[in-house]
Amino acid sequence: MNQKAVIKLCKDLGCCDACCLRYLGLKNPTAYENVQEFVHKICEESGKHAQDTETRDLPTQLSESTAEQNSTHQCPEPPAKRIKVGGICVSCLGVLQEENWQPCCDMVKEVLDKKGYECETFACALSAPIAALVRERLVALQLKHDLLEYDDSSVTPLKEAWKWSFGVRLAEHVGKTLDSGAVSPLLITLHMEYPDELQELEALKALAPALFEARRAAGRRFGVEAGAGGATRAALAAAGVAGGAPAVRARCVSVACAHAPLYLAGRYVKLSRALPQTPWLVNGRRMMHSSVQEIIFEPIAALYGLSPEAAEHRLKFMSAGREDVDVRCLGDGRPFAVEVTDPTRQPSEAELKELCEQISVGGQVVVRSLVPIHREQLALLKKGEETKCKTYEALCIKLSHSRDDLAEGGGDVRVTPRDIAALNAYRNTPPGDSARVQLTQRTPIRVLHRRPLLARARRILELRARAVPAQPALLALRVRTEAGTYVKEWAHGELGRTRPSLADALGARVDILALDVAAVELPWPPAPDDKAPSDQ
Amino acid sequence: MTTMEPNILDSIPDLNNLKSFTERYFSKRYIINVDGVKNNDIMIMFHSNRIALLCLAPSHFFFSKSKEYKVNYTVGNVNRLKNAVKGKGKKGGQALNPKSVVCKIEYEDGTSFDVPCGMKGTLVEVNEELVNHPELLKEFPDADGYIAIILSSIAISEATKNELLTPEEYLDLLNNGVNGKEDKKLE
Repeated sequence: MNQKAVIKLCKDLGCCDACCLRYLGLKNPTAYENVQEFVHKICEESGKHAQDTETRDLPTQLSESTAEQNSTHQCPEPPAKRIKVGGICVSCLGVLQEENWQPCCDMVKEVLDKKGYECETFACALSAPIAALVRERLVALQLKHDLLEYDDSSVTPLKEAWKWSFGVRLAEHVGKTLDSGAVSPLLITLHMEYPDELQELEALKALAPALFEARRAAGRRFGVEAGAGGATRAALAAAGVAGGAPAVRARCVSVACAHAPLYLAGRYVKLSRALPQTPWLVNGRRMMHSSVQEIIFEPIAALYGLSPEAAEHRLKFMSAGREDVDVRCLGDGRPFAVEVTDPTRQPSEAELKELCEQISVGGQVVVRSLVPIHREQLALLKKGEETKCKTYEALCIKLSHSRDDLAEGGGDVRVTPRDIAALNAYRNTPPGDSARVQLTQRTPIRVLHRRPLLARARRILELRARAVPAQPALLALRVRTEAGTYVKEWAHGELGRTRPSLADALGARVDILALDVAAVELPWPPAPDDKAPSDQ
Repeated sequence: MTTMEPNILDSIPDLNNLKSFTERYFSKRYIINVDGVKNNDIMIMFHSNRIALLCLAPSHFFFSKSKEYKVNYTVGNVNRLKNAVKGKGKKGGQALNPKSVVCKIEYEDGTSFDVPCGMKGTLVEVNEELVNHPELLKEFPDADGYIAIILSSIAISEATKNELLTPEEYLDLLNNGVNGKEDKKLE
């Protein structure tokens, strides 16, 4: 294809140098870093190699012939300029024109300075005026009309050309390295608006009135695909869609900067029996003055300089299940993760260690380590909640004589060696079954107001009882259960709603006095893999 | 950290002040002399989450009789054992009002009495265990011998709780005989 003819035609129509390269279909990023020089080079080269074909290619009605003739003398000056200096490109509406970039760069710099990201790379995205897309279509159709072999599907998208040109300039201005959105966690989005957009798009309505009405009803913007996408040049012309010289240029109206979320994973040990996992609110009033979540959030919010209000919507707590307010979580603790939205940076190893110390200093919650993880790894947490076994330590009290005690004449209710032996031998499953106890639990009354009433089959995998020194009526149990087993309800039987209960196993009335989670069997945090975060 | 590893044995409470399961989670309220029948007294236990348990009050005349009895959950042509609820909202549960009969206690001699609901709500669950083990009703009236689980709106639950006799008012009435507070009963 004759590149020079394309450039010539683009120039005649009023395109800027960068748009000329776009219509040539150039996808070489460096070409866009110095468009003027590149356009010049092409003109010289095509002048050398393709002079014979040029005149034939060019439609006579558009051919001003001087350019072609000149090019045979290795033309030192650029092709005839249709837009005067300071003029606005009919296609990009100024988006790709260097003289318009300073305000954009300044706006980005201002936002970046305010947010203070430490990330050394960035990716940029453009929200372009729809009118620029419509105008692009018009130019492409004109090219196809005038240069028969022109491939109108090869036009380099405005956004790409913008990244390769403006993006490079922006990188210099803000002192960061431009990278692809798939690599850099920091995304800078510029919203460019064209003041005459609405009136210019008005003509498009005529092309597909029904589609436009539907989009308008749905509260959507004018869409180039709604009319101009498949329309022919004639149809666009008939509808009065024109791509004349713009009176004003597109301007940057806002800049949005966002850093990909940070996910910190760890395990918390809860040492308090008066601490809910998340803020416990009843009718908007707090029932407890703190929570595991708040204790973990506090130093993270401080590290990122988040106000309490900002922390509320920028930090998110996730965990593999939860324990009751009055239940401690010991051992290695319960797996959890915190999502930090739009962080200014990745915390250092030292800072992560410091966070753990600050979380743990109050003595109610202990977090031994925090590590950054990928978003995809969060799925393990939820899976762990549903499938992983838990081990508990339960302190129980025997409240009535068991059948055997009565045979011996009663006296004070006490846990006998026979009780302990009976519990340690107890099973209601066939020998060899991996579970010791198969039980049916109705949804506990304490959660029945917000959960459906169901009778769930659950299994106790291990059960080990021991006497408590100097406390004849007490017994301590180590119980390993399937996920989703309500241990307190199993211990006291909940008015007979969990069957068989510990009381049934013992043949005496029993209640639970205290419960600790001893182990949540989920490998967490996940081993770091070398895969870079792929999401934005 | 050099703190001692916590152990469940460090959590032994004061065994002289233990609260039962019922006392830990429920507030008891009473209605006495329902339908003008002396000692036809019921107890409704409200969980802090507004779920209510229907029980017989300890002063119910039932506890002074030693005859054999059965608990019959078929009331008229409604079989309360067939009650079924679906989803979080407990859809499909039988509707109850304060006068609805939840079950009948039938003696071997053919006499019987009705247990009224005492509040407006949806029947969530009846205590099926009472059918085969009626003795639970007498042995553990405020625990395994509960009669039914009822769910009502927060508003109704709160209003009913405020309207019925508190344990103190109930004990006062029992100890001082029928006095000025007798009007606190079913309308």
